[in-house]
Amino acid sequence: MTATTTRVRPERKAVVQGSGRMKKPPGLPWILPALVLSVGLIYYGIGYTGYISTLNWDGLSPGAEHVGAHNYTRIFHDPVFWDAVRHTLVFFVVTFVIQTILGLAFAVILHAKLRLAAIYKVIVFVPVVLAPAIMAPVFRHMFAPDGELNAVLRHVGLGGLAQPWIGQTSTALPVIMFITIWEWTGVTFVLYYAAMTQVDPSVLEAARMDGAGNMRTLVSIIWPDLRGTTVALAMLGAIGALKTFDVPYLVTIGGPNYATEFLGTYIYRMTIPLSHVGYGAALSIILLVVALLMALVLQLAGRERAGR
Amino acid sequence: MFEIRTRTGKVLLQIGATVLIIPYLFPLVVMIKGAFAGEGVGNFEAVLRVPGFGRFFVNSVVVAGAVIVLVYVVTMMAAFGFAKLHIRFREVYFWLLLACLTLPEVVLLAPLFATDSRLGLYDTYWAVILPLAALQVPFAVLLTRNFINGLPDELFEAARVDGANSYRGFVHLVIPLTRPIAAAVLIFTLVASWNDYLFPLVFLQSPELQTITLVPQFFVGEFSNDQTKILAAAVITAIPEIVAYLSLQRLFERGLSAGAIK
Repeated sequence: MTATTTRVRPERKAVVQGSGRMKKPPGLPWILPALVLSVGLIYYGIGYTGYISTLNWDGLSPGAEHVGAHNYTRIFHDPVFWDAVRHTLVFFVVTFVIQTILGLAFAVILHAKLRLAAIYKVIVFVPVVLAPAIMAPVFRHMFAPDGELNAVLRHVGLGGLAQPWIGQTSTALPVIMFITIWEWTGVTFVLYYAAMTQVDPSVLEAARMDGAGNMRTLVSIIWPDLRGTTVALAMLGAIGALKTFDVPYLVTIGGPNYATEFLGTYIYRMTIPLSHVGYGAALSIILLVVALLMALVLQLAGRERAGR
Repeated sequence: MFEIRTRTGKVLLQIGATVLIIPYLFPLVVMIKGAFAGEGVGNFEAVLRVPGFGRFFVNSVVVAGAVIVLVYVVTMMAAFGFAKLHIRFREVYFWLLLACLTLPEVVLLAPLFATDSRLGLYDTYWAVILPLAALQVPFAVLLTRNFINGLPDELFEAARVDGANSYRGFVHLVIPLTRPIAAAVLIFTLVASWNDYLFPLVFLQSPELQTITLVPQFFVGEFSNDQTKILAAAVITAIPEIVAYLSLQRLFERGLSAGAIK
């Protein structure tokens, strides 16, 4: 640090203090309930999970064996863990890209004075409100070998495409991705729709005067303007992918043959039905670290973009 | 914003939108059609006759209601403290809270299971209410703090000059002025707690305590493999959510999208 900067700082501070700001009353008691509830419960849980992750424990018996980092070294040689990581990654990229395209398409279409626009909007947004756990039986029914999707395919003469969607490894993950996209496009759409209303109309007018068509305006003016929203949605999607549990657990039970195993479903399977609580805890810690790193990376990436 | 002047253009736009909307409509149609298949309305009657079906709704109302109250009180206080009061190491506390934003709930299963059993909380409403509230608070505080930051400091200083303490400032300024953001917090807390599946699945064993997200499983047991009844149950459990959304459309869309706005 140079001498000039050190000299300037205290002066500035003095000016602020000298402006007669009142001293604010103490706020610690006000934030305490939130800290106790959230930080208390969550950090206690994480700490406890960290401790359990060094045990070989079934969750019930008193004599848990300390195994150090053994659970962690086992994870790195666990093919199902790596499958789950791969699924999460593919799942995130595919759902994010498709959701962005569809959300953007709906936002553009609804800005273009569509007839019955309100009905289209409701249909896209209703899935956001519905619980995945409640829709799961519907999707099991829809994608079943004798289900509605195959019936429609046969009806329109595409019977050759009919297949056991949930029951085979090649289509199970795409089914999970379809359900997730179905569920979340509403949010993407609403955010893009709102962000588009913020685009400066004079810039749009100028572009139009210069002869830019609808497509050109979208690509060159609107899309760059939506960057902040896109980064935020990427963050939401990445964390959502790491949290994925309900849909694969209820629709495909992580299968067939681990084809739709995610970190969430794998941790659940290890911890509750299989009672490998120590191993599940080690997986949890790894999941947590990955989630934090991802959030940090995306946050920094977003800031860098915004700074440019 | 986008101008489509020609008649053919307008027709093409309408067709395109309709093609895009079909995959979104299809599962809803499957749900309703399946629910009326076979015995028709009889499916719904059979589902409603099952003893204890109403309990699932009551339990979801209790859980969601308690989570909302808890989150609201704790969040408003904390956001006020962070935004307008003096706290040493304020940002440290704030970041401790924000780090919880990324936490997948599955991470808490093992420790909460062990702790709940020891404290006798297992298989009580609290086993679900407390962790659900804990997971909603960080984001609610982030949102509300940003909102209160936007309120002028002079407002609070003037109140102080008039002799109002922090408590009165909270009741007479913060509570009424934060209504718009409180509505958003309320909506996403409601949807998150109403739709949550994992915590009730693990922590609520007695059917008398279980929430509506466990209804499908309950009915798989009840009607073995009669799909139509299960879908009828899905329709009945979805109705309150759809009605709530349709009557408060704006609020829901804003509240649930608030999740991505910084």
